[in-house]
Amino acid sequence: MKTNIIEQLKKSYHGVMKDLKDPAKNFRRKRKFQSFLMTFFRTVLLVGLCFVILFPTIQQILMALRAPEDTNNPAVIWIPENWSVMNIKIAAIVLDYRHALVNTFKLSAIAMVLSMASTALAGYAFARLSFKGSGILFGLVLLTIIIPPQALSLSQYLYFRNLGLIGKEGSIYLMSGLGMGIRSGIFIYIFRSFFRGLPKELEESAQIDGAGVFRIFWNVMLPNARGALVTVGLFAFVWQWNDAYYVKIFEVSTERFPLLTMQLINAAENVYAALFYTGGLSLIGQDVWENPVFLALISNVSALLMMLPLLIMYLFVQKQFVESIERTGIVG
Amino acid sequence: MMTEQQRLPRKWKRPELTYKNQKRVWAAIFLLPWVIGLILLFIFPFFQTFRYSFFKLTPRAGEILTENVGFANYSYAFNTHVTTTSSFRVELLDTVADVFINLPVLLIFSLFIAVLLNMKFRGRAIVRAIFFIPVILNSAAVVSAVGGGEAINAILEQQGIDKVFDLQFYLMQTGMTPGIINFIVGLIDRIYDILALAGVPILLFLASIQSIPKHLYEAAKIEGATAYEMFWLITLPNVKVHIGTVIVYALVDTFLTSSISNIISTELNKQNWGLSSAMAWIYVGTIILILIVLGALGKLFKIGESHYEN
Repeated sequence: MKTNIIEQLKKSYHGVMKDLKDPAKNFRRKRKFQSFLMTFFRTVLLVGLCFVILFPTIQQILMALRAPEDTNNPAVIWIPENWSVMNIKIAAIVLDYRHALVNTFKLSAIAMVLSMASTALAGYAFARLSFKGSGILFGLVLLTIIIPPQALSLSQYLYFRNLGLIGKEGSIYLMSGLGMGIRSGIFIYIFRSFFRGLPKELEESAQIDGAGVFRIFWNVMLPNARGALVTVGLFAFVWQWNDAYYVKIFEVSTERFPLLTMQLINAAENVYAALFYTGGLSLIGQDVWENPVFLALISNVSALLMMLPLLIMYLFVQKQFVESIERTGIVG
Repeated sequence: MMTEQQRLPRKWKRPELTYKNQKRVWAAIFLLPWVIGLILLFIFPFFQTFRYSFFKLTPRAGEILTENVGFANYSYAFNTHVTTTSSFRVELLDTVADVFINLPVLLIFSLFIAVLLNMKFRGRAIVRAIFFIPVILNSAAVVSAVGGGEAINAILEQQGIDKVFDLQFYLMQTGMTPGIINFIVGLIDRIYDILALAGVPILLFLASIQSIPKHLYEAAKIEGATAYEMFWLITLPNVKVHIGTVIVYALVDTFLTSSISNIISTELNKQNWGLSSAMAWIYVGTIILILIVLGALGKLFKIGESHYEN
């Protein structure tokens, strides 16, 4: 019996040793360990970074949902004691939210379409239609990217004043339609890179099949550049939405045509005055609006209200946006 | 059949164009809106700004008085200009130094994240969506409004409840030197800024990684290449094309969000038009200089050439 146990132990020991020395199994084990390590570190890193990104927004949402009285309660830091949408209501009044939202949406959407059209055409011309002087012209595109808007806006302002476009949204549309909108140079650059990355065979085979230049662009190249289209579209929309510079210079945001960014900046500069003039003060007690924390809170909630539509829209577009980066159905 | 053949020549007679000439014509048509915009809204204002930078401009009712002052605006910007906390020269040098330190960090970080986001793992879609949120929320208006939130933080800090976990204190306990602690804490404090700035570069890198033909990876896998080798020999050479784009974007973004651009805006709003024009030209000159340096480096290392050509 005794010898038997020892024999068995020896046997299993040899089995384990053999197993450990087996190169094929070792290789598999090593792979498994590596992939586990990889997954572990990737998860930790990505979860951490995601938290860093989401943290300010979560904080803002929680602050927005506390009752105004809670600002006087030092015990409330994260979770509101009394849940309420009063802060959001007040911020909406301060921003003239409904009007501003509709106007901003309209402005951003039209500007997006115009600037996508003009930059896609220009980008394609630079990438695929070689002509004399295209290098010099593309140098000018780079120049439009690196010249700060501050260097141009004075002359542009005087120019638009002569055209009677100051104080009208037409000035923004004109800029976008002529490919000189917010960072349009970058859009041309993105389109050019994408069109240039498409293989030459695509164009050649379409040409052999008898397609003209425009047809190749419209039916062959554009569907393949869907990633670039979605990317540029999203950026054009978002940057126009967030833009405060051009809108301020060209005085687009007026009493009759309020825009979110300008309303937000005006409100943030003097929350008390904004509350006073819009009648937001009457909704809350004096002990609350005398607290500077409450005024800061309202400007925070206003900022959240401005970003919220973008976030909601992004939730819907994000799949399309992230996935359509992948080039579809090309390169066999 | 007959009628169609008869009608064809009657219509506008299209001159026979070779494909090459067709391309030229269409290039002109495609570029037309942009060229009009370029001339009217870019070149004309650009040279006017250049002219203004040598003048002292005084706005009067209905007109602008101009007075030639030579290089006075430039020398004022460099030597005499001060703001409440800083000066144009200091901020310019700071930004340039920042660019040379931050740009490589940003490039490596965003490429690294792009490679991570390109892997297959559970919840990838959600993580990707979250990573592009800072791009969307990056707005000067929001920053100015949330700046008010500092009042809240200040009050919380007074009550001693600002931080759940004090990293600096914890690191001090481990006996590290203050220099290293400051570096780590500084880096962690700026994580959100780096993430916000890296959003678009990550996106560009991700797009270019995904445009790499999959069969290259399949072939490499069959040959027994490791993930590490695949990165260096397949991913990196294919991504190179877009490194130029990312650099230009990051550079311009750094400058646009820097304090120089704020100073120029402020001077513009104060109606110091000559001075702001001169500053804008210094700003432009600096960026072009940096781009030339980086371009020369790129040529040296052959970065940024498409391998589909030739």
